[in-house]
Amino acid sequence: MSDAVTTAQIADEMYNLVKEYSGKKRFKSSDLTKEIIGKHGDKVNKKDCKAALRELMDSGRCVYGYAGGSFIALPGEEGAAKSQ
Amino acid sequence: MATQPSAPRKTDIGPPHYEQFLHPVIKKNYGQWKYHDYLKPGVMVHVAESGDKIYSVRVGSPRLISVDVIRMFADLADKYCDGYLRFTSRNNVELMTDKEKNIDPLIKDIQAQGYPVGGTGNSISNIIHTQGWVHCHSAATDVSGLVKATMDELYEYFVDMKLPYKLKLAAACCLNMCGAVHCSDIAILGIHRRPPKIKDEQVSRVCEIPTTVSSCPTAAIRPTTVEGKQTVKVDDDRCMFCANCYTVCPAMPIADALNDGISLWVGGKVSNARSEPMFTKLAVPFLPNNPPRWPEVTDAIKKIVEAYAGDAHNYERLGEWIERIGWPKFFDMTGFEFTKYHIDDFRHAAETFARSAQIKF
Amino acid sequence: MANHKLRKTPLLDDLQKGPWPSFVKDMKQIAVRKPMVNDLLGQLELSYKERVGHWKHGGLVGVIGYGGGVIGRYSDAPEQFPDVAHFHTIRVNQPSGWFYTSQALRDLCDIWEAHGSGMTNMHGSTGDCVFLGTTSEELEPIFAKLTEKDWDLGGSGSDVRTPSCCNGMARCEYACYDTMDVCYNITMEYQDELHRPAFPYKWKFKFSGCPNDCVASIARSDLSVIGTWRDDIRIDQAAVKAYADAGMDIRADVTRKCPTACMRYDGKEIHVNNKQCNRCMHCINAMPKALRPGKDTGATILIGGKAPIIEGALLSSVLVPFMKMDKADDYQEFKDLMERIWDFWDDHGVNRERIGECIERVGLGNFLEAIEVDPKPEHVKHPRTNPYIFYEEYFEDDGTDA
Repeated sequence: MSDAVTTAQIADEMYNLVKEYSGKKRFKSSDLTKEIIGKHGDKVNKKDCKAALRELMDSGRCVYGYAGGSFIALPGEEGAAKSQ
Repeated sequence: MATQPSAPRKTDIGPPHYEQFLHPVIKKNYGQWKYHDYLKPGVMVHVAESGDKIYSVRVGSPRLISVDVIRMFADLADKYCDGYLRFTSRNNVELMTDKEKNIDPLIKDIQAQGYPVGGTGNSISNIIHTQGWVHCHSAATDVSGLVKATMDELYEYFVDMKLPYKLKLAAACCLNMCGAVHCSDIAILGIHRRPPKIKDEQVSRVCEIPTTVSSCPTAAIRPTTVEGKQTVKVDDDRCMFCANCYTVCPAMPIADALNDGISLWVGGKVSNARSEPMFTKLAVPFLPNNPPRWPEVTDAIKKIVEAYAGDAHNYERLGEWIERIGWPKFFDMTGFEFTKYHIDDFRHAAETFARSAQIKF
Repeated sequence: MANHKLRKTPLLDDLQKGPWPSFVKDMKQIAVRKPMVNDLLGQLELSYKERVGHWKHGGLVGVIGYGGGVIGRYSDAPEQFPDVAHFHTIRVNQPSGWFYTSQALRDLCDIWEAHGSGMTNMHGSTGDCVFLGTTSEELEPIFAKLTEKDWDLGGSGSDVRTPSCCNGMARCEYACYDTMDVCYNITMEYQDELHRPAFPYKWKFKFSGCPNDCVASIARSDLSVIGTWRDDIRIDQAAVKAYADAGMDIRADVTRKCPTACMRYDGKEIHVNNKQCNRCMHCINAMPKALRPGKDTGATILIGGKAPIIEGALLSSVLVPFMKMDKADDYQEFKDLMERIWDFWDDHGVNRERIGECIERVGLGNFLEAIEVDPKPEHVKHPRTNPYIFYEEYFEDDGTDA
């Protein structure tokens, strides 16, 4: 089990993806899940990713946004209030 | 941003269990009801196998109501109904009591508060509707006002049961139709008629361009560059004003005071009774936004209701009546002009063309 | 009483007249103590004057950990109407069948009076109790007070939307399964899917107890559960006679309106050929004291209903002609089916594509195969008329004689 991927590790990797692409791409939950499974292959499954997402969102490091569909973003200024 | 509260947060507890909200007579006879009857407009009795009875008094509501109005209904429930009440799928309020003697005083109190009792059986029930200008970003009209103006005109049909059968109206302020008007007897639908205006300087900042491009059902949107900034352009000829792009990209507003308005649709139903569920079909492609009373819209609706009331058979829904008499007769009776806009030209349109020589002259 | 100057609303004032209850009158009364409603009226009056809306959407608002239940809303004229600059919606998951006690409603009113505009929708289109208008700072306090009183938020965004149901067995003799219990059970089962959006787009459940479909599940939900029965319509011939004696024209209004011509009235009694009955409900609706659904009850499961956005409106289509909806089994058959469907949608759905559109794109036959449901004649109005068949296999000549 030495190479097992922990929930915390998946959450960190998801956070890093959101941070890296902030302002460029809006990740949906399923996008992040696909990225993680793409990276780790059989070592992670959808359930692990679901648990990691919940940990990530509960921690407040990321928040949900909405633009015709739900996406995951860094907490910040309320975009729509300032834009337009 | 919100701060973390000190007490441990409760999450994912779901709604309260329904059982605690059921009148004792309802709880006792749950799943054991035998039949129901209308005692008069707005008053139903449900009779259980046990012989127990529960009386329901149905009250029309604007749906958009303040806490004061909710508290008023709570007071009435305490006074007459042991504190129990419910709301219907059409946003009526139902006050329920097992005491027949409570019905008339309850109705008197409801009416004294300015609320109508009715909406049962062969009536026009409450109009289900959406947010409109009161609270929605994509609204082409204000449905709260439209509904108020329409129900003022159709009031007699709410408080009485004099129609051939039930008649259900719905209003939605744009094609998103959170009020699912696509299957009502009469549907009032807010429409946009002008392609979105693109705020080029904002698009790349507030929108994902690939998502915006792929949001268009007719592939009318393409990426482009304006003054060095990435943005999108719209092929106006292919735009059918669905506003899906605006939903995903707020920098493409589509609302337009000069061109937004109302379309009217008829003949839908969700019930399986007699005929299968049906979509509404276009009756009037455009009527102007004319607040606060929208007289052109309410006049057209009254024409439809009166034609139906005068000609339909018992138990015939509006759509069933039109199918029996035929669409040419419907346009003849209502006086609505039939235009090229009435002929479908989106997906599967050809399925709606008449393909027989069966024509009434 | 008011510290703020009440807005003048000459156009809206006209809607205070007339017999139907007036939302304007209601709002004007509450605007005296609620500056938010005062500015809401002001902005609405501007919309009536200019004939255009003044709201903006989107943003990152919600309670911690949830992606559903709060809708961001902002005025596009905040200088003019500062008290509605931020005016977010909160969806509170309604109880099954929209039954309440006066006390429960007062609890909700007290929370909303303290932390928001005091205006509501009872109820929203999907079924939630909707609180209209508050600021981001109030969201966590509202959520804490709601959960303290055992209320939770409903869905929004790309998640399971708040399921809703008709009043079913609580107050209707037509109910063919326990809609309120199924609705509650499914809502509780899928709390995570309801609060943390992870789907390609929204997913709506609606539960109707009989084919009258009072919650419009066939038109308004991705997954429609409509009560039905497999055995015979129950007939009380004495009650039939009572209807006739009371002057009902049973032939004109009941038997001749039967769409399958499966029933007749001989002047004394009604006879039904139940094998031909398609469970439309007309005769039962017309004579509720004399006719009732049978006793072998359950539901027809249909899939894919939706309004026009994006590819056009769809009614749900048959997925499982009959499912028992077994309470003793905790509705496991239904839940197993959901898991298979969502697995498929997760793999094949694209952004903002409802399941009905997804099925149209991949083909109903392929979809059924993927979720392990056998194709049946009940799935279609009629078999295909075009010969463009995607045959998936053919024989190779292996050189041996037949």
